[in-house]
Amino acid sequence: MDFLIDPFQAEFVRHGALAAALVGVLCGVVGCYVVLRGMALMADSLAHGVLPGVAIAFMVTAGGAGSAAEPDQVAIAIGALVAGLVTAAATSVILRRSRLREETAAAVVFVFMLALGVVLISRTDGYTVDLTAFLFGDVLGVGSGDVLATAILTVAVLALVGVLYRPFLLLSFDRQRAAALGLRVDLLQLVMLVVITLAVVIGFRVVGALLVLGMLLGPPAAAALVTRRLPAMMALSAGIAAVSAPIGLLVSWHLDLAAGASIVLVPVTVFIVLLLARPAPR
Amino acid sequence: MRTEQVTDAFALRTRDLTVAFNGDRALDGVTVEIPRGVSVALLGPNGAGKSTLFRAAIGLVEPRSGSVELGVDGVAFVPQRLDVEPAFPVTAMDVVRMGRYREVGWVGRFSARDHELVESSMRALGVDDLADKRFGDLSGGQRQRVLLAQAAAQEAELMLLDEPFTGVDRPTHEALRGLLRGWRDEGRTIVVATHDLESAARDFDLVLCLNRRLVAFGPPGDTCIEGVLAETFAGHVVRVGDLVVDVAHHHHGAG
Repeated sequence: MDFLIDPFQAEFVRHGALAAALVGVLCGVVGCYVVLRGMALMADSLAHGVLPGVAIAFMVTAGGAGSAAEPDQVAIAIGALVAGLVTAAATSVILRRSRLREETAAAVVFVFMLALGVVLISRTDGYTVDLTAFLFGDVLGVGSGDVLATAILTVAVLALVGVLYRPFLLLSFDRQRAAALGLRVDLLQLVMLVVITLAVVIGFRVVGALLVLGMLLGPPAAAALVTRRLPAMMALSAGIAAVSAPIGLLVSWHLDLAAGASIVLVPVTVFIVLLLARPAPR
Repeated sequence: MRTEQVTDAFALRTRDLTVAFNGDRALDGVTVEIPRGVSVALLGPNGAGKSTLFRAAIGLVEPRSGSVELGVDGVAFVPQRLDVEPAFPVTAMDVVRMGRYREVGWVGRFSARDHELVESSMRALGVDDLADKRFGDLSGGQRQRVLLAQAAAQEAELMLLDEPFTGVDRPTHEALRGLLRGWRDEGRTIVVATHDLESAARDFDLVLCLNRRLVAFGPPGDTCIEGVLAETFAGHVVRVGDLVVDVAHHHHGAG
């Protein structure tokens, strides 16, 4: 049994597992709406849209080329949040001013923000290292302060999702019905994007911008295969995401694989297993 | 000086309402006032702007010009059809419960009365035995009845139904007619979009003839007449009960 316990003797692995589990639960719940509303590309766009904000925060706090100052993590989180909100708002504006499909609008903003982020980061020293950390996260570099911050933010966003459960369910089920029941669907749609952005901002430092999408999509997609009601889907999704963190880290430890990517492979594997195991739909 | 007749008792009022998509006018300068407590057949061919009028009423599309105003507090809307992902995780009962969300609020608990309304609405539409089935697994007719049960549970003063008789089986058709009568007798305002001339003339207090513009609005005796219908359905085929009439070729006929 030691091989199950050994890796977690190290504090940095425990911190990483805890932070990844928290992010998993958050993304597992929020991701249910991403899956139900078919907003995968929008979520992807938000995940990468945070990059310019990260780059600017990095440049400002780390002092740009030649400076030895450490980048400020709070500034990076705020920069990421602002850039994510800009991505969400820009997509909404394009949607309203054109008659393009949401996926097209999202993709245009996605490409712009990603390219802008890369251009900005290329102006800083240590370009490759920072971009890698951004895209793939640094789950084993999470400190105890980060775990606490992640826990508080996760609980706060989950509480928000709890309050918005009925409006979000209506919006996801049928916009017309939501409007007839007196909801401002445009505003609500934007709020949903903000909530997804919050999950991305909280999650990308742990599993990376590329893989936070895996936590937003993998667990809910797996849960959707076997549940009939949204609360059950959310609970199962959160559960799958939470256990993915320690399992992924175990695998990564013993096989010497990238930690963040190993974590994300778990829910996707669960999805595939459930897909093959359940009876085919009529 | 002439005093304009003031009626505050309207359920739905539009003033010079124009709605356009990509420059095409779906509604063009429609001014109409639907009083409370009546049943209205909204008659017009496909593309006449019937659905657009409903969508404008619930605030889902913005008027290009003019206004649309609700004179009642609650409005229920049953769309023509609902494309839901088959795997969407809600049961039939969950869908009917949504009808109570406005009253119950975002986080409020369902009272005994809310539960009773949900259950009685499901019984009235004959879907109480489907309560735990996933909505996406139901047949088209069953879904339609669940959505009608949702509208019933909503206890709205204004009911907007988009082509509810299209594609439903005979028993549902009869149940629906009874339901509409009951709602009207309770004093609710009902607006039903339909192609069905015969039903419009027989089952409703007023008929609103729409073809992007308002053609006519009044009792069936004044609206379901040759000239008005010819203008309403200009160039289209009309279904009168089981009879199909091609208005494009018909409107120069008898008269």
